Amino acid sequence: MRISGKRLNFGFDRFSGLYLWGLFILIFGIWEPRLFLTLGTVHSIASEQAVAALLGLAVVVPLATGAFDLSIGATANLSAVLVALLQSQQHWSMWPAIAVALLIGVIIGAVNGFIIVRLQVNAFIATLGMATIVGAVETIVSGNSQPQPPTSSAWARLTQYQIFGFQALFFYVIIIALISWWFLERTPAGRYMYATGGNGVAARLSGVRVGGWTWLSLIFSGTVAGLAGVLFSSQSGPSLTFGPALLLPAYAAAFLGSTQLRPGRFNVWGTVLAVYVLATGVFGVQLITSVQWLNDMFNGVALIVAVSFAVWRQRRARADVTPAQPVESSPAESGPGAAGGGPPGSANGQSPGLRSSPAGDSAAPGGGP
Amino acid sequence: MTAPADTTPALAVTGLSKRFGASVALQDVDLAIGPGEVHAVLGENGSGKSTLIKILSGFHRPDAGTVAVSGQPLPLGHPASSYRLGARFVHQDLGLVDSIPVLDNLAIGAGFATRLGTISARRSSERARADLARVGLAVDPGASVGSLSPATRTGVAIARALREDPGSPVRLLVLDEPTATLPATEVDRLMDIIRRVSAAGVGVLYVTHRLDEIFTIAGNVTVLRDGREVAAVPTSSLDHRRLVDLLVGEELTAAHHVAETLPAEGERPALSLRGITGASLDGFSADFGAGQITGIAGITGSGRETVLGAAFGAIDRTGEVLTAGGVRLAPSRPDLAMRHGLAYLPADRVRNAAILSLSARENISLSSLRPFRRFGTMRGRPERRIALTWFQRLSVRPPDLVDLPLESFSGGNQQKIMFAKWLRREPVVFLLDEPTQGVDVGAKAVLHRQLVQAAAGGAAIVISSSDVDELAAICQRVIVCRDGRAAADLRGGEVSARAISRECLLGSASPNHGVSSTTGVPRPGASPGRVFPDQGFPDQEGPADK
Repeated sequence: MRISGKRLNFGFDRFSGLYLWGLFILIFGIWEPRLFLTLGTVHSIASEQAVAALLGLAVVVPLATGAFDLSIGATANLSAVLVALLQSQQHWSMWPAIAVALLIGVIIGAVNGFIIVRLQVNAFIATLGMATIVGAVETIVSGNSQPQPPTSSAWARLTQYQIFGFQALFFYVIIIALISWWFLERTPAGRYMYATGGNGVAARLSGVRVGGWTWLSLIFSGTVAGLAGVLFSSQSGPSLTFGPALLLPAYAAAFLGSTQLRPGRFNVWGTVLAVYVLATGVFGVQLITSVQWLNDMFNGVALIVAVSFAVWRQRRARADVTPAQPVESSPAESGPGAAGGGPPGSANGQSPGLRSSPAGDSAAPGGGP
Repeated sequence: MTAPADTTPALAVTGLSKRFGASVALQDVDLAIGPGEVHAVLGENGSGKSTLIKILSGFHRPDAGTVAVSGQPLPLGHPASSYRLGARFVHQDLGLVDSIPVLDNLAIGAGFATRLGTISARRSSERARADLARVGLAVDPGASVGSLSPATRTGVAIARALREDPGSPVRLLVLDEPTATLPATEVDRLMDIIRRVSAAGVGVLYVTHRLDEIFTIAGNVTVLRDGREVAAVPTSSLDHRRLVDLLVGEELTAAHHVAETLPAEGERPALSLRGITGASLDGFSADFGAGQITGIAGITGSGRETVLGAAFGAIDRTGEVLTAGGVRLAPSRPDLAMRHGLAYLPADRVRNAAILSLSARENISLSSLRPFRRFGTMRGRPERRIALTWFQRLSVRPPDLVDLPLESFSGGNQQKIMFAKWLRREPVVFLLDEPTQGVDVGAKAVLHRQLVQAAAGGAAIVISSSDVDELAAICQRVIVCRDGRAAADLRGGEVSARAISRECLLGSASPNHGVSSTTGVPRPGASPGRVFPDQGFPDQEGPADK
């Protein structure tokens, strides 16, 4: 039943994003062919959304292990401010400044990991607190005034150097995406992380060091967030507020991405796809009208519609496949994993991240590394 | 203890019958309880106790028979009328709210004493004290229930059940396994409370699994088996052993020993437990022999359901776990236990074993990724091939679809996949908790065959199960847990469903510290699995227990 269903549905359940992308290109291509169907459009969408895509990639990895990292926005912002300050005020050269900014990301991730794994604080709360602290640190180091952007041409070239008309930044995103994809899909470490996020207790009882993998995933997100901050600073200047504003779009992309390509699990290419499908839609609509609220409205509506559609598809698919799941499995549905109160069936289903964090799960007797 | 013959009985049940579909839950049961009499009802899981109580409380409507409370016929199937005639119920989980004071718990249901719509603290408090005094408790009504000892909590629940209601004086108190989760020291206090209640002329229907309590408190005992009444006699005419015979039945089950060829004595211990303590275990020691299947039996709370998890490291423990090579395994470190050849399949598959969002293939390979790794990268093809091999070997259905998420498989097939995950490691010691619970008969046979095969290959297989038929069928040796220890060790010809049940129940004298609400007395002689749909008592059954 399931097989035939899969063959017949043209992949609407996992490739809906690609169809939507095609639809956008078709509509705007017909509507505004002279403005929309240009290489310039491709180049500007690719580079404008690069930092958002990076932050989306940053959250995919901890989400795969079942942990929310809400501190990535603040981390990126601190890193952006710091890398600019070190160069323009302290007159450091570029590479040491970048190294320090990345190191800050690593440290924030490591501290997050310590709080979540060792102190067993819920990841949501731990990283929310960390985001606030990092925001305060940013105010301390910046004195709440936007630092001068570094003047060296190398600094601007870092991201704005053009390769085939694309900013170098876009290729960094592709590289980070490739690394993340390889890590999550093609290494044992990635498998352990997905197992941890899928069911922390079961993973622990299968010999997986759930605490260690959770910790590592947070260091990853901290580091990538730090990198995103550096690149944003080079591309657009050291804004004091861009980071927190990119936090929710990053999560939106990750959740939307979890309905694409490999539905039911947070995945790298789904996230990248989600970022660029939305960006294309927003760009196209902006060619037609120029209202300010459009970006947010479009992103929010698209997220809810796409995820609801995917949940509906999945529920229908499941009803087709397993008409009679044995009753004996039901008590666990209301088990600790469901404490987050996601939609019915979300624990292992279409919205994997709505599970509560594995910190709770690994808090089972004797958890942790 | 029995009241004078001329008074109307607190409860009179005649010819009560109830069927659920094809299965008989109760068949022609009679029961009479005089005022002030404590009457014990005994029976294993599925014997019909729960159905009886549910009929009394008005939850189920019987197919035939009558019930009279205090001489008044009970219109069956209406919870409210059961209350009105003076029947009160205290269920096993008590239905108290731990976080709020005793006073408020007492008032829930019956209502607070109010003055002009406002709670009157003084009058509520006085009333609460009176309610508590009725059962002999001197508890501060302001204390939160969570701070009380377990027996006192049960006492509060009884006090609430017995609250004075001018409209319907209390005639009958039904206690459903009130001591299931009480430690021994607390049981005596509860017995005092029950004596006080019966001295006030209330008939008490007392359901328990602990035989010695019956001799302490009950004047008469009714034993149910498979829905039929096998005895209704004064307690004084019985002794402990006779009672066990009544409970378990005389008939021997014709267990088919699929594993007869395996030796009853393991040639050497593959795993040794020494003084394991923690999580209802109290100094558990045993050796598990290589090349044989060892069973672990025991009632809930005896340590049966925690010993394997503790040995593997799923549950924290103290004490020593030694491998055949003399390596001492660290507690709470499943990864290290696995490195020394242990494998463990926990009881609650969905919560503790399965990763439903991952594919069947990924679940199978999770137990060891090493064979699939080359230069730090996972190789997909060998992983798929191994998953396919195990799918065929365990005849998982649907066949060959190893990339489907685990949640798309039925329970029995999920369990096969869990077996594959561990068997592919060729464990030296394979520990399994309730390996075939909720698994259909066909899958069960497949799984048992795999275990026998693994044992024949030299592995030590240890199965902890509440299904004694399963243990009798495939184990060459059965260790019976009581009070967190290995209390009996049945070998070879001694292993039978009846012998296991007998050993489980013999020790029921002492407390069980378990927290599970379902009782684990095995059910011999019946087909494995759950026979009656009425197991596990829903906690809310209408106002009957208010």
